Amino acid sequence: MRVLLLLCCAVAFGQKLPLATIPPGKVMMVIQPHHDDHTTDYGMGGLIAKITDAGYESWFVRSSNDEKDGAHGYPHNDMYNLRESEAGTKILGMKGVYSLNWRNDYMDAIPLQELRAQIILLIRKHKPDVVLGHDPWGHYDRNPDHRKVARALAEAVWMAGLANVHPEHLELGFEPHRVPHLFLKARVDYGRGHEANVAVELNESQVRRKEKAYVAHRNVYASPGMARSVKAQLQAEGLTVPEFAGKTDEEAAVMIEEWYMDWISRKRGAENGVKYAEVYWYRGEFDHLPGLTDYLKANVVTR
Amino acid sequence: MKVLILLLCAVLAQAKTVLVVTADAPDFVLAAGGTIASMAASGDRVVLVRVTNDDKDSWNLSAEETASRVKEEVERAAKVLGIAQVHSLGYRAGELGGVSPTEIRDRLLFYVRLVKPDVMLIPNPYAEYVEVLDRHYTGMAAEEARRIAALENHQPPFAQAGLATHVVKELYYYAQPFDPRRREAESTATFAPQPKVVDIASSLEKKLRASQALTTVNYSMAMRIRKRLDESGRRLPLLDVVNEESVRKLVEINVRKLAEIAAKDSGYKLAEEFLYAGPDYQVPAKLR
Ligand SMILES: [Zn+2]
Repeated sequence: MRVLLLLCCAVAFGQKLPLATIPPGKVMMVIQPHHDDHTTDYGMGGLIAKITDAGYESWFVRSSNDEKDGAHGYPHNDMYNLRESEAGTKILGMKGVYSLNWRNDYMDAIPLQELRAQIILLIRKHKPDVVLGHDPWGHYDRNPDHRKVARALAEAVWMAGLANVHPEHLELGFEPHRVPHLFLKARVDYGRGHEANVAVELNESQVRRKEKAYVAHRNVYASPGMARSVKAQLQAEGLTVPEFAGKTDEEAAVMIEEWYMDWISRKRGAENGVKYAEVYWYRGEFDHLPGLTDYLKANVVTR
Repeated sequence: MKVLILLLCAVLAQAKTVLVVTADAPDFVLAAGGTIASMAASGDRVVLVRVTNDDKDSWNLSAEETASRVKEEVERAAKVLGIAQVHSLGYRAGELGGVSPTEIRDRLLFYVRLVKPDVMLIPNPYAEYVEVLDRHYTGMAAEEARRIAALENHQPPFAQAGLATHVVKELYYYAQPFDPRRREAESTATFAPQPKVVDIASSLEKKLRASQALTTVNYSMAMRIRKRLDESGRRLPLLDVVNEESVRKLVEINVRKLAEIAAKDSGYKLAEEFLYAGPDYQVPAKLR
């Protein structure tokens, strides 16, 4: 925790975050509300690609049905967004998508414990070494699904390790499993709350896959209309982008979105002394025992 | 003799009533046990309200057996700290998110009006990165209960049953050190609680013994550390044999280190950290 305190002071003074290493393990789960939360504007796509590159089997959980996201009406949005989620996560090397299919932006009606129970069951099934999700302590996230799923996740990752929590799961042959490593994400530019304590360095290929995974979501991103309005705005200011020459509006829109992913990855990289990066709040396997972390670090030995 | 009586009168005159609210068995001991022990040792009357029944966290014990054992252990720990009374509300652990916040608040309100504390110690619901959300829900409910205890239009039947309104003058928000910004003041020193570090050098021994009394959660903690290490091809020599002695040692390391973390930069060697709202919290300096 002292280390964490120092890290946070470091961030406040514009100093670099330590670079995270990928924890040893085999399975990762990304547990999120929405189809596109693997690669939204604040990251994750790069870290997912990096973890799958390290040989992990990985799974994406889409908790909502994403019916509000897109211009095709509720049932079609749900279908398109799920398919694009499958396509996007595949680009990142993930194995599959679970859709819990709760009603988008109306998840307050679900008892938190029911959502948590589903997540606990999936955690016990896959026994992930690493889980990625939204940071429930991030402030100013106006998205109710982010808050709700993050909160269910925050408890599920440790409660899944207690046999007295949903003992019925054990009848299926599953065992209690506490998730040892957690990477949480929120907008670092949203204000207090989310405290990034590590940066994850990305390579060129990981950033490119992150871009491709992001623009796989054509139902909501990279729309030709977005490119048209960008071009119109530039034209009004007497500017043009040479790269747009000969491109359709849709192709231009894809380029714009890819540049966005490239820009944010470079920006986080520059802030942390590397070419490309994403930043996270990381909780290691024994960080929930702040009085014991130093002792364990100093005294644990390999068998 | 006269001097002694005068001294005794002075001590009694200053003795306060303290109400400690906790979500679960280990939290109040680990985050505030030293301060509680010091208060009790100085003559304060301390009462504990424990919101959940701690039925989940154990090793190879049913929920029912766990709840029953932990209840006895908390009562033993409370006795070590000098706590006069323990009230267990019995909500199931990990399930406060499914309970009406108003219900928890009004259960706590009852005890605030019954005990009439001068001081309350409650879990800090704003402490970030505390993974046990029961502590958040309990803290929110306790904060509200403290406020409305003074307001006559809340729960009029309580007043009819003899529970009069009551103003709690001092409030300590406690949490184990997870929040990287826990030492930052929320605001200027008017109505907002301020960071406060309390020296616990003289009460650490009691805090340690109280913590060691929580044998069910301590054994569970030790076995879970060992399981994690086993699964990943590692070992901790201390836990090669998990028995009473090794668990007690593990708890001692934990309690001492937590006290050192809290003491950092404070001038004390062993401490606990709080956000504290004293009487200024209710009447700002400019109006005094
Ligand atoms: Zn989202």
